[in-house]
Amino acid sequence: MVAAAFSALATMETEEAQIATGLRRRDPEVLDALIEQYQHRLLRYLIHLTGDRATAEDLFQETWIRVLEKGHQYDGKSKFATWLMTIAHNVAIDHLRKRRPVSLDEMRDSEDAAPFEPVAADPSPFEQVSALEDRTRIHAALEQIPTIFREVLVLRFQEQMKLEEIAKLINIPLATVKTRLYRGVQALRPTLQGGSK
Amino acid sequence: MNGHEHERAADLISRRDVEGISDTDVHWLESHLASCEDCASYELAMGSAQQAMRSFTVMASASLVESTRARVHARAAQLRESESRRYLIAISFAMGVVVSTLSAWVWWRVGGWMVERFSLPSAIVGPGLVLSWLLPVIFLGVVLVAFPESNFEGSLMHLVMKARQRGIQ
Repeated sequence: MVAAAFSALATMETEEAQIATGLRRRDPEVLDALIEQYQHRLLRYLIHLTGDRATAEDLFQETWIRVLEKGHQYDGKSKFATWLMTIAHNVAIDHLRKRRPVSLDEMRDSEDAAPFEPVAADPSPFEQVSALEDRTRIHAALEQIPTIFREVLVLRFQEQMKLEEIAKLINIPLATVKTRLYRGVQALRPTLQGGSK
Repeated sequence: MNGHEHERAADLISRRDVEGISDTDVHWLESHLASCEDCASYELAMGSAQQAMRSFTVMASASLVESTRARVHARAAQLRESESRRYLIAISFAMGVVVSTLSAWVWWRVGGWMVERFSLPSAIVGPGLVLSWLLPVIFLGVVLVAFPESNFEGSLMHLVMKARQRGIQ
């Protein structure tokens, strides 16, 4: 079991090291493969962060340009996904600062944000509609909570990141991550309880 | 039951699914949740939030991916070009310095001869010598900064630059 864990760790290290080498060389094939691999996750994170699909798509492109330009700074010792999300986080903050001098908390979501697509079809039409309603309701609730909480929820529940990784990514203390997670869940609670009734 | 216990429970609930918690902590948490309605409710909310958020999926369109790749490739080419250009300028500058240094003695002698032959004041000859000494470097710098890379097509420096590009790739 230990050997398997070590082997998995070694494989990951090799993969991350290969990515680091590819980024240092600005290898187009490595970049293409990374875009392919992380396209959906990155876009989902940016949509949650900005609340607007069009803006998220612009920032998606900008993030990959930044990855190309800053690629030499990635040392391959940490997970590439965490580094990528950090770049995306910084790109989004830069964008918001340029757009208007406000904090992330004050950012409001635009009404033309594209809805999330359902994962897979449920067996019956009733269940499909019900599930879609639940998702729409929870999505709407997510949009209402401050971005700083939403970002932590997304990184934790969708990206499955460790609390320490989130703290490093957003550049905030671990205790703040825990507080934001707690308050984010509490903010969603009325909606979640409403759906279960 | 004190605030510290609720805090510990919230922390363990947060960590249980991703980081994992020890068996001791699992037992402690279970007994705490059995006796604390607030924490049990928080655990339920955490589970529901997790489940709800995992049900969302976002797909990046093929056109977005393609246009991103095109932009990244174009930028990569641009960066490679500017990097090669900086390399070219550095090499040219180094060559200019070498030529200037090697020719310094000649210019010094020529300056001395001009002072003797034409009785020129050293206030003119001195700066003139310095200018002559720096002339190759200044000339190369101006040419490289002022003209695009295509003007050097086929030159020795261009070949050096292309060889370096191939080495990088």
